[in-house]
Amino acid sequence: MKRVANVFRGPVGTLLFVLIAMSAVMLVAGSSPVDGFYYLFKGALGGPAEIAETLAQTTALLFPSLGICLAFRAGLFNIGAEGQLMLGGLAAGAIGAHFLAPGPLIVFVLLVAGFVGGALWAGLAGWMKARFAANEIISTLMLNFVALNLANYLVSGPLKSPLATGAETAPLPPAAYLPTLIPDTRLTIGLLIALALAGILQFVFSRTVFGFDLRALGEAPEAARRNSVPIKRMTWLAMALSGGVAGLGGAVIVTGELHRFNTSLSPGYGYTAIAVALVGDLHPLWICLAAFVFGILEAGGLAMQASANVPKDAIHMIEGIIIIVLAARRYIATRTETPA
Amino acid sequence: MEPALELRGIRKAYPGVVAVNGVDLDLFPGEIHALVGENGAGKSTLSNIAFGEVRADAGTIRANGTVGLVHQHFELVGRLRVWQNIVLGREPRRGAQIDADAARRLVTELAAANGLEIDPDAYVEDLPIGVQQRVELLRELEREPTVLLLDEPTAALAPAEIDAFFKTIAALAARGTAVMIVTHKLQEVIAYSHKISVMRHGEIVASLDTYSTSVEDIGRAMVGGDLPPVAARDETKPVPCLTVTDLHAGSGSTRCDGLSFEVRGGEIVGIAGVEGNGQTLLSDAIAGMIGYTGAIGLDSRPAIVPQDRHREALVLPWSIVDNTILGRQHDAGLQKRGLLDRARARRDAQTIKERFDVRAASLDVAVKTLSGGNQQKIVVGRALIDDPKFVLAYNPTRGIDVGAAALVQSRLMQARNAGAAILLISFELDEILTLADRVLVMYRGKIVGTFDRATVDRGVIGRLMAGSAA
Repeated sequence: MKRVANVFRGPVGTLLFVLIAMSAVMLVAGSSPVDGFYYLFKGALGGPAEIAETLAQTTALLFPSLGICLAFRAGLFNIGAEGQLMLGGLAAGAIGAHFLAPGPLIVFVLLVAGFVGGALWAGLAGWMKARFAANEIISTLMLNFVALNLANYLVSGPLKSPLATGAETAPLPPAAYLPTLIPDTRLTIGLLIALALAGILQFVFSRTVFGFDLRALGEAPEAARRNSVPIKRMTWLAMALSGGVAGLGGAVIVTGELHRFNTSLSPGYGYTAIAVALVGDLHPLWICLAAFVFGILEAGGLAMQASANVPKDAIHMIEGIIIIVLAARRYIATRTETPA
Repeated sequence: MEPALELRGIRKAYPGVVAVNGVDLDLFPGEIHALVGENGAGKSTLSNIAFGEVRADAGTIRANGTVGLVHQHFELVGRLRVWQNIVLGREPRRGAQIDADAARRLVTELAAANGLEIDPDAYVEDLPIGVQQRVELLRELEREPTVLLLDEPTAALAPAEIDAFFKTIAALAARGTAVMIVTHKLQEVIAYSHKISVMRHGEIVASLDTYSTSVEDIGRAMVGGDLPPVAARDETKPVPCLTVTDLHAGSGSTRCDGLSFEVRGGEIVGIAGVEGNGQTLLSDAIAGMIGYTGAIGLDSRPAIVPQDRHREALVLPWSIVDNTILGRQHDAGLQKRGLLDRARARRDAQTIKERFDVRAASLDVAVKTLSGGNQQKIVVGRALIDDPKFVLAYNPTRGIDVGAAALVQSRLMQARNAGAAILLISFELDEILTLADRVLVMYRGKIVGTFDRATVDRGVIGRLMAGSAA
């Protein structure tokens, strides 16, 4: 029994369990898991276009996932990646519509703007935590709604493009488009930026004093406080950087595929990213793998719905199951430790 | 005579460790039986098995009557009154209501019968530790146990309270209760027990009659050999390192109320006192963790051995190497332009491992897998590794085995001999008397007595700790 339980420990085990859970969901939905998986994987990986779409989904999930990873490792439960993503995209779209600069520079400026937008939004929650001990779970979650409504207001009013019929900013000049990796797909060099970021994050965690302080704060806050970790500064800084990474993701979507800002920017990447970060055990490199798996689910889900008659909502059930499995795994891990 | 409690072939294994391995033990009515051993020797597991809180893997338990257990950490409800705590779960009733008068009467009679003074209507959280323990004891006595197990009963008591406590226990035994005391305080064992069982690695390695043994014999049996002596005390030149002037911090009975003293290089100043008399605030003020008024003069960052190694000193899931860095991560030697020098940290960890004889498979194992003694060696080793001018050591040997404790004390003495100023806050008077050059007695946030090593009087210090004038 114990050996069986051990198989399900660790990220690989979690994924295995998820596959089993998916089969169950497909059976309940009245389809054969064989068909379901076939169309799921065919839809996600069946050809260059499908793979490009999967990787585009991976990219969109990876930024907020890495941002969440950064905050969670500092012990800060940043649930607000969705809002930070949104405001990062808004900053990039608003500036890009009115700001003219030559070629690559403008892309760079817009990405920085996205980072800053997300960082300010999350930094607000971080500052409230550091200054007033405001619970960051509540504040970041609530700020999501503020962000969404703020963005909606701005693109329906002050920032609305006079030419557009819907609520959105004016389009970006083509010079501000993020270069694609495969022409005529949504896959851009955003993927490379995200992967580089994961590598940087791993390096920061393992080699730098900053990463050391951040992890100490997350693992043992009282020991950190008593051992030269500037916890207030680390709190707002980790939160701001976390939001910055998520916001950068928003800017990548705006400059990479939408080429303007509107609030359809995210179908909930910021929430799914919480599961991605946890499935990846809060390790940047595992998170890349986890984001790819979730990218398959998101991209293949539509094909699965069309061909195997499994509703796409099943995918969201799976994501919910994953979170429960992870919570259970942590609980089991803490319970089976040797008693003192 | 029939034993009141008979354990035969008791065995209990946890993953990776056999905590109790084939133990036979008899407790007889009227006898005070001490169970001693290093931390992790299996004492607590055995007493929990005897009480029925933990199920043994093998063996038989035969109890002639009921068994009571007084825990090391009291299990009282602070916000309830004394009588409510004592009758908790078995309240006398009048209809659907608790019969408070009957309960109060019961508690008063019980206390009188056992010679324990107690106010049944006091709130437990307002009581000093020694009195809380009386409540805990009364709660067990209310069940009229034929066997009473006491787990580290004197850990938080002042010397005077310890005497009173054992008088009560002796009276209980005289009336036919079988008592087992789990402890690591050997002086008390010698003074108050009838029989002694020594545990090591889950087995009883010696069964001794108290009248024919000595502290040295018991200590040898506990560690399986002789203890290393604490390092010799050298002559040193006094240079002030820490100057505390009129320090006020906190409020209530645990506050610091106008403390003034200094600690000079090359001396150990011991703060003697019962837990909860302002020591934690003093330590936190020096560590810069809390606000205070008055002045604390320090010309360098204090090296600190905090009182709670799990919460305040270590990141338990981290390796020995990373824990060696903790607290020093911003120091020039351990980082260059924000990048950690892990090679240097590894060398430091290796040095600590050798100097402190840390038993670990490698420097990369998580410190949570190490024993308390080895964890504490890392904490003390880290505090001393950069040859600090000032060291604050708060209960540096609490809860660790005697071998590790002797080593830690030796290294502190060597640091003193090398010129460090050491402030030793300890709840173990013996530790202070072993190490300190000067002893300050702290009571209710004030220093109520100062003694040079040459003029130390154990009895006077004990009375001052308990709050009576010398």
